[in-house]
Amino acid sequence: MSALIASTVHRGKSGRRTHLTIAVAGNPNAGKSTLTNAIAGSRLSVGNWPGVTVEKKSATFDFQGRKITLVDLPGTYSLSPYTQEEVVARDYLVHEKPDVIINVVDATNLERNLYFTLQLLELNIPLVMALNMHDEAAQKGFRIDIDKMALMLGSAVIPTVATKGEGIGRLMETAVAFADASETQRPAVVSYGEDIEKAVAAVAEQLKDHADVVSGHLPLRWMALKMIEGDARAIEHYQTEAYAALTEKAAHHLRSAHGEDLEALLADVRYGLAAGLTRETLRKPEKRKRELTERIDAVVLNRYAGIPIFFVAMWLMFKLTFDIAGPFTDWLDGIVAGPLPRWAAVLLAAISAPDWIVSLVTEGIIAGVGSVLVFLPPIFAMMFFITLLEASGYLARAAFVMDRLMSAIGLHGKSFIPLLLGFGCNVPAIYATRTLENPRDKALTALLIPLMSCGARLPVYVVFTAAFFSAYAVTVLWSLYLLGIVLAVLVGFLFKKTLFRGEAPVFIMELPPYRIPTAKNLMIHTWEKGKHYLMKAGTWILAISVFVWFGLNLPWGVEAKKESYLGKTGQIIAPVFAPLGFGTWEAASSLLTGVVAKEIVVATMGEVYAPGAEEKEEEASSFSEDVREITVSFGGAFVDAAKNVFSTFGVATMSAQEDEETAGLKSVLAKTFTPLSAYAFMAFVLLYLPCFIVLVAMRHEFGSWKWAGVTIVYQTVLAWMVAFVIYQGGRLVGL
Amino acid sequence: MTLADLKTGQSGKILKISVSGALKRRLMDMGVVPGTDVRVEKVAPLGDPIEVRIKSYALSLRRGEARHIEVEGTHSS
Repeated sequence: MSALIASTVHRGKSGRRTHLTIAVAGNPNAGKSTLTNAIAGSRLSVGNWPGVTVEKKSATFDFQGRKITLVDLPGTYSLSPYTQEEVVARDYLVHEKPDVIINVVDATNLERNLYFTLQLLELNIPLVMALNMHDEAAQKGFRIDIDKMALMLGSAVIPTVATKGEGIGRLMETAVAFADASETQRPAVVSYGEDIEKAVAAVAEQLKDHADVVSGHLPLRWMALKMIEGDARAIEHYQTEAYAALTEKAAHHLRSAHGEDLEALLADVRYGLAAGLTRETLRKPEKRKRELTERIDAVVLNRYAGIPIFFVAMWLMFKLTFDIAGPFTDWLDGIVAGPLPRWAAVLLAAISAPDWIVSLVTEGIIAGVGSVLVFLPPIFAMMFFITLLEASGYLARAAFVMDRLMSAIGLHGKSFIPLLLGFGCNVPAIYATRTLENPRDKALTALLIPLMSCGARLPVYVVFTAAFFSAYAVTVLWSLYLLGIVLAVLVGFLFKKTLFRGEAPVFIMELPPYRIPTAKNLMIHTWEKGKHYLMKAGTWILAISVFVWFGLNLPWGVEAKKESYLGKTGQIIAPVFAPLGFGTWEAASSLLTGVVAKEIVVATMGEVYAPGAEEKEEEASSFSEDVREITVSFGGAFVDAAKNVFSTFGVATMSAQEDEETAGLKSVLAKTFTPLSAYAFMAFVLLYLPCFIVLVAMRHEFGSWKWAGVTIVYQTVLAWMVAFVIYQGGRLVGL
Repeated sequence: MTLADLKTGQSGKILKISVSGALKRRLMDMGVVPGTDVRVEKVAPLGDPIEVRIKSYALSLRRGEARHIEVEGTHSS
């Protein structure tokens, strides 16, 4: 059998394997991701585990002349078959058989962490423990007998402080040494007590000839324990149903002595052992000091102050995210709208490219690149603040404070933050759902995000309120935001009873101690998300942008917008909007282009209602002037971002200014819309399907088009019904 | 008596978990095992969920979940 294994691994001249795989496993909040960053840093690449929405981080790099693949498993408290994270972690450990496991353990919270370690030991893979936050434990007066712990676990125990990089070198050296000696360096078999061990032995005897056990693909002790626990997933997956009957005898004996629930019995035994290990190795000071975390929580989670503090924190995060991102978005937008297409046009003219190519490049491709890039600043900013909230420990508190409210519509306390971010921009909001672990919570939150009226819808409201409701513009604006929120509550209820029927996921969540996040960690997480978005979502967005360009410009050479494919499609679908009060091809075409970005509805209206009006020749500028302008405005963006940060702390002003170019549009609109149909139109713009970037983000975050598809259908139906009720209802009461 | 019946500042010892399946396993994985001491530290500003201290860490759970955890009161402060 050893010959079989030897033939499948790469060995160098010295007989050592040249490629090692290290899995990093541990509880959430144990500093696992900080430790992984300390080892692999920017070499980490982020993706999803196949078929699930769980994030996968891995890195391949050279260490002491060997190739190392480091796989960061999702943070879990157990290897039960009930959550996606746990299934991903255990399937990886059992199927991929890493050469060694680095088990990250929070030294300040030994018992619960050791409960997980015991489950890792069952897999019979060499294990090196990173006893992390060792400094924090020492500060609390904890004394941990490291040698004794190593002896009892049959593993190495290395004290580390991941945030400072302490112990990382030794940890890696030990892990590699353990991997090299993987055939002899097996972890201890911790005895689960006479009764259980007897049952394990009996089941193992039966399982011995199972093909996967013989080939070494299935750890025997682990599988025997799973069968005793009645782990349906493992039994089904390894096709051991036939063995289940044989297990029954052993299980029956256990049940008669220890009660029916053997899964609980094993959890109980593991916790008993973890408590024993902790007693043997940890000496705590007699009196427990009131910790800083408890003192902070006394204020932050206070009955009266808790909610106001939460809202202030949320307001700051929202303002800072979009205020810092705003100037950079404008800067990128400026380049993509001005100099870039100009340069491209000049270059293409130089090689005498046909007109349609020039148009495709400047209006299709460059504009497409632009729509990818403008979302980068808010995604970076969102990720920065979300990571800050998560790593500091406040995110769990925010969920604790908000859960009562959110659970009323079937959501989780953590759903509040993505929904809030939705008011700025739905795209980063979709990505912010990553903080929700449960797939159901995550999907439901993502479905409701587009009902939060994002910044891109404001220009549409501004034009229409200025044209029809100038006397009470603010009231009308607020009514639209409120409409979105009220509908989110109703739709949430509806989905809870239909698409997401069944038991609501649990809210059993650790409130980790407050910790100061390291700058390195914040940077790495922020950068990862941005990079991931650019590479994965970027290609889709670009492709769709080019597709839309064809729709707008074909057949080539059409002068009248009405004759373009877009205009023709507008003419065909216009009757659908007739009962809503805006059944014109102009309105229909504008709504169609709104799928690119909702503010484009206004731009298209400008073109179709008042063609030629906004075509102003820009002053020609030279290449060097352009470059200077871009550089200067980049500096300006920093200044603006800094100014915005300060104004965040000052008085907030709602900037609902009117653009000059839309002024002419007002008078045209007054001829084709009534105040009633204008309001119905605004409600429709609020509610109909989100821009395609949001849909791509959903695809990207959930790994399939399913939820994006549900969004398209439900929002379009909802928008039509609401606009119908507004328009026809209004007419009935004589508006 | 269940964990949901304990008031802020009160402690208890866990007797059993009166639910089965995923919820029970999840609770046990988080350290809610019979014989363990537990103390209610806080109630969220809106009355739910609650924060308890167990196995020297802070755990939050909804009252609906706490109702499945049978406890005996040890002492109140």
